[in-house]
Amino acid sequence: MNEQEQDGMKKLLQQALPPIADDAEEQRDLWPAMLRCMDAKPAALPQSLSLWFDGALMAGIVGVVAVFPSSIPLLLYYL
Amino acid sequence: MKPHPFVRAYLAGIFTPTLALPILLTVFIVARIVIQISTPIEQVLIFPMAVVPSLFGLWNMVWQASHMRTGAPIGLHGAVLPLFMAPIGALIATHLGVLQFSAHGLTWFQVCSIPYALVVPGFLFAMAAYYLVWKYIVGTLNQVLGIA
Repeated sequence: MNEQEQDGMKKLLQQALPPIADDAEEQRDLWPAMLRCMDAKPAALPQSLSLWFDGALMAGIVGVVAVFPSSIPLLLYYL
Repeated sequence: MKPHPFVRAYLAGIFTPTLALPILLTVFIVARIVIQISTPIEQVLIFPMAVVPSLFGLWNMVWQASHMRTGAPIGLHGAVLPLFMAPIGALIATHLGVLQFSAHGLTWFQVCSIPYALVVPGFLFAMAAYYLVWKYIVGTLNQVLGIA
Protein backbone atom coordinates (compact mmCIF):
# COMPACT_ATOMS: atom_id res chain seq x y z
CA MET A 1 0.00 0.00 0.00
CA ASN A 2 1.58 3.29 -1.08
CA GLU A 3 1.19 6.66 0.67
CA GLN A 4 -1.63 7.79 -1.56
CA GLU A 5 -3.63 4.69 -0.77
CA GLN A 6 -2.89 5.13 2.92
CA ASP A 7 -4.17 8.70 2.82
CA GLY A 8 -7.31 7.54 1.03
CA MET A 9 -7.88 4.86 3.63
CA LYS A 10 -7.32 7.41 6.41
CA LYS A 11 -9.93 9.75 4.92
CA LEU A 12 -12.42 6.93 4.50
CA LEU A 13 -11.96 5.86 8.13
CA GLN A 14 -12.35 9.44 9.36
CA GLN A 15 -15.57 9.77 7.39
CA ALA A 16 -16.95 6.48 8.68
CA LEU A 17 -16.24 7.08 12.37
CA PRO A 18 -17.96 10.00 14.13
CA PRO A 19 -15.63 12.59 15.62
CA ILE A 20 -15.03 12.30 19.34
CA ALA A 21 -15.57 15.53 21.16
CA ASP A 22 -13.13 16.72 23.77
CA ASP A 23 -15.86 16.88 26.45
CA ALA A 24 -17.40 13.52 25.56
CA GLU A 25 -16.82 12.08 29.03
CA GLU A 26 -20.06 11.15 30.88
CA GLN A 27 -20.94 13.89 33.29
CA ARG A 28 -22.98 11.84 35.78
CA ASP A 29 -21.60 9.14 38.06
CA LEU A 30 -22.39 5.72 36.62
CA TRP A 31 -21.20 3.70 39.61
CA PRO A 32 -24.46 3.88 41.67
CA ALA A 33 -26.41 2.62 38.65
CA MET A 34 -23.88 -0.20 38.28
CA LEU A 35 -24.34 -1.12 41.95
CA ARG A 36 -28.13 -1.16 41.48
CA CYS A 37 -27.75 -3.53 38.54
CA MET A 38 -25.49 -5.81 40.56
CA ASP A 39 -27.91 -5.86 43.50
CA ALA A 40 -30.98 -6.43 41.34
CA LYS A 41 -32.48 -9.93 41.61
CA PRO A 42 -32.36 -12.08 38.47
CA ALA A 43 -35.49 -11.89 36.39
CA ALA A 44 -38.09 -14.35 37.63
CA LEU A 45 -40.29 -16.46 35.44
CA PRO A 46 -43.45 -14.69 34.30
CA GLN A 47 -46.22 -15.18 36.84
CA SER A 48 -48.57 -16.91 34.41
CA LEU A 49 -45.88 -19.35 33.27
CA SER A 50 -45.05 -20.17 36.89
CA LEU A 51 -48.73 -20.79 37.65
CA TRP A 52 -49.06 -23.07 34.63
CA PHE A 53 -45.97 -25.01 35.67
CA ASP A 54 -47.19 -25.41 39.25
CA GLY A 55 -50.66 -26.39 38.05
CA ALA A 56 -49.21 -29.03 35.74
CA LEU A 57 -47.05 -30.32 38.58
CA MET A 58 -50.07 -30.49 40.89
CA ALA A 59 -52.09 -32.32 38.22
CA GLY A 60 -49.22 -34.78 37.80
CA ILE A 61 -49.07 -35.45 41.53
CA VAL A 62 -52.84 -35.97 41.73
CA GLY A 63 -52.60 -38.31 38.73
CA VAL A 64 -49.82 -40.36 40.32
CA VAL A 65 -51.72 -40.60 43.60
CA ALA A 66 -54.85 -41.70 41.70
CA VAL A 67 -52.94 -44.39 39.78
CA PHE A 68 -50.87 -45.50 42.80
CA PRO A 69 -53.04 -44.99 45.92
CA SER A 70 -50.46 -46.87 47.98
CA SER A 71 -48.21 -43.82 47.62
CA ILE A 72 -50.50 -41.82 49.95
CA PRO A 73 -49.24 -43.28 53.26
CA LEU A 74 -45.67 -43.03 52.01
CA LEU A 75 -46.16 -39.38 51.11
CA LEU A 76 -47.70 -38.71 54.51
CA TYR A 77 -44.84 -40.60 56.16
CA TYR A 78 -42.40 -38.08 54.69
CA LEU A 79 -44.56 -35.05 55.47
CA MET B 1 -37.00 -7.18 59.78
CA LYS B 2 -39.16 -8.73 62.50
CA PRO B 3 -37.43 -9.91 65.70
CA HIS B 4 -36.40 -13.54 66.14
CA PRO B 5 -36.49 -14.48 62.45
CA PHE B 6 -35.08 -17.95 63.06
CA VAL B 7 -37.72 -18.82 65.65
CA ARG B 8 -40.35 -17.68 63.16
CA ALA B 9 -38.68 -19.72 60.41
CA TYR B 10 -38.68 -22.83 62.61
CA LEU B 11 -42.35 -22.40 63.51
CA ALA B 12 -43.32 -21.84 59.86
CA GLY B 13 -41.32 -24.92 58.90
CA ILE B 14 -42.89 -27.33 61.38
CA PHE B 15 -46.44 -26.27 60.48
CA THR B 16 -46.97 -28.65 57.54
CA PRO B 17 -45.67 -31.88 59.11
CA THR B 18 -47.51 -31.11 62.32
CA LEU B 19 -50.70 -30.79 60.29
CA ALA B 20 -50.00 -33.95 58.26
CA LEU B 21 -49.27 -36.12 61.32
CA PRO B 22 -52.90 -36.53 62.52
CA ILE B 23 -53.90 -37.37 58.93
CA LEU B 24 -51.21 -40.05 58.78
CA LEU B 25 -52.32 -41.35 62.17
CA THR B 26 -55.92 -41.51 60.96
CA VAL B 27 -54.92 -43.40 57.82
CA PHE B 28 -52.99 -46.01 59.81
CA ILE B 29 -55.65 -46.38 62.50
CA VAL B 30 -58.30 -46.89 59.82
CA ALA B 31 -55.98 -49.36 58.07
CA ARG B 32 -55.46 -51.31 61.29
CA ILE B 33 -58.95 -51.25 62.81
CA VAL B 34 -61.26 -51.08 59.80
CA ILE B 35 -59.30 -52.86 57.07
CA GLN B 36 -57.53 -55.17 59.56
CA ILE B 37 -54.03 -54.51 58.22
CA SER B 38 -51.38 -55.30 60.81
CA THR B 39 -49.34 -52.12 60.38
CA PRO B 40 -46.93 -51.37 63.25
CA ILE B 41 -48.26 -47.88 63.97
CA GLU B 42 -45.90 -47.20 66.86
CA GLN B 43 -42.80 -47.80 64.75
CA VAL B 44 -44.25 -46.00 61.74
CA LEU B 45 -44.96 -42.84 63.72
CA ILE B 46 -41.47 -42.33 65.11
CA PHE B 47 -40.00 -40.74 61.97
CA PRO B 48 -42.93 -38.45 61.02
CA MET B 49 -43.46 -37.42 64.63
CA ALA B 50 -39.92 -36.96 65.91
CA VAL B 51 -37.76 -36.23 62.88
CA VAL B 52 -39.77 -34.71 60.02
CA PRO B 53 -41.06 -31.58 61.83
CA SER B 54 -37.59 -30.77 63.15
CA LEU B 55 -36.05 -31.23 59.72
CA PHE B 56 -38.68 -28.98 58.14
CA GLY B 57 -38.08 -26.31 60.80
CA LEU B 58 -34.31 -26.50 60.52
CA TRP B 59 -34.47 -26.47 56.71
CA ASN B 60 -36.57 -23.32 56.80
CA MET B 61 -34.02 -21.76 59.17
CA VAL B 62 -31.30 -22.65 56.64
CA TRP B 63 -33.33 -20.90 53.93
CA GLN B 64 -33.80 -17.90 56.19
CA ALA B 65 -30.05 -17.70 56.77
CA SER B 66 -29.02 -18.23 53.15
CA HIS B 67 -31.62 -16.87 50.76
CA MET B 68 -30.35 -13.29 50.90
CA ARG B 69 -26.99 -14.48 49.61
CA THR B 70 -28.09 -17.29 47.29
CA GLY B 71 -31.38 -15.84 46.04
CA ALA B 72 -32.76 -19.39 45.88
CA PRO B 73 -36.56 -19.56 45.63
CA ILE B 74 -38.13 -21.32 48.59
CA GLY B 75 -39.79 -23.92 46.35
CA LEU B 76 -36.47 -25.10 44.96
CA HIS B 77 -34.94 -24.99 48.43
CA GLY B 78 -37.71 -27.27 49.70
CA ALA B 79 -37.41 -29.60 46.71
CA VAL B 80 -33.84 -30.37 47.77
CA LEU B 81 -34.93 -31.57 51.22
CA PRO B 82 -35.90 -35.13 50.08
CA LEU B 83 -32.24 -35.65 49.17
CA PHE B 84 -31.55 -35.65 52.92
CA MET B 85 -34.86 -36.91 54.26
CA ALA B 86 -35.28 -39.96 52.04
CA PRO B 87 -32.11 -41.74 53.21
CA ILE B 88 -32.70 -40.80 56.86
CA GLY B 89 -36.31 -41.98 56.71
CA ALA B 90 -35.36 -45.20 54.93
CA LEU B 91 -32.59 -45.88 57.46
CA ILE B 92 -34.88 -45.39 60.45
CA ALA B 93 -37.68 -47.37 58.80
CA THR B 94 -35.34 -50.25 58.04
CA HIS B 95 -34.11 -50.43 61.63
CA LEU B 96 -37.67 -50.32 62.97
CA GLY B 97 -38.93 -53.00 60.59
CA VAL B 98 -41.20 -50.59 58.71
CA LEU B 99 -39.26 -50.97 55.44
CA GLN B 100 -38.06 -54.27 54.00
CA PHE B 101 -35.82 -54.79 51.01
CA SER B 102 -36.50 -57.81 48.82
CA ALA B 103 -35.34 -59.09 45.46
CA HIS B 104 -38.22 -57.37 43.68
CA GLY B 105 -38.40 -54.06 45.47
CA LEU B 106 -39.19 -52.22 48.68
CA THR B 107 -42.06 -53.07 51.00
CA TRP B 108 -43.27 -50.21 53.18
CA PHE B 109 -45.51 -50.75 56.21
CA GLN B 110 -45.73 -54.46 55.26
CA VAL B 111 -48.37 -53.59 52.64
CA CYS B 112 -47.01 -51.12 50.07
CA SER B 113 -44.68 -52.81 47.59
CA ILE B 114 -42.63 -50.58 45.30
CA PRO B 115 -40.50 -52.14 42.52
CA TYR B 116 -36.94 -50.87 42.33
CA ALA B 117 -37.71 -49.42 38.88
CA LEU B 118 -40.16 -46.99 40.49
CA VAL B 119 -37.82 -45.74 43.20
CA VAL B 120 -36.30 -42.94 41.11
CA PRO B 121 -39.67 -41.78 39.64
CA GLY B 122 -41.06 -41.93 43.17
CA PHE B 123 -38.21 -39.77 44.37
CA LEU B 124 -38.92 -37.20 41.65
CA PHE B 125 -42.59 -37.33 42.62
CA ALA B 126 -41.58 -36.55 46.23
CA MET B 127 -39.41 -33.65 45.07
CA ALA B 128 -42.34 -32.23 43.08
CA ALA B 129 -44.65 -32.55 46.08
CA TYR B 130 -42.09 -30.90 48.34
CA TYR B 131 -41.61 -28.08 45.81
CA LEU B 132 -45.32 -27.27 45.93
CA VAL B 133 -45.58 -27.64 49.72
CA TRP B 134 -42.64 -25.34 50.32
CA LYS B 135 -43.64 -22.79 47.71
CA TYR B 136 -47.28 -22.47 48.68
CA ILE B 137 -47.50 -23.45 52.36
CA VAL B 138 -44.14 -22.72 53.96
CA GLY B 139 -43.56 -19.71 51.71
CA THR B 140 -46.96 -18.26 52.55
CA LEU B 141 -46.38 -18.82 56.26
CA ASN B 142 -43.01 -17.10 56.00
CA GLN B 143 -44.77 -14.10 54.46
CA VAL B 144 -47.45 -14.15 57.17
CA LEU B 145 -44.76 -14.20 59.85
CA GLY B 146 -42.89 -11.37 58.13
CA ILE B 147 -39.68 -13.23 57.31
CA ALA B 148 -40.00 -13.70 53.54
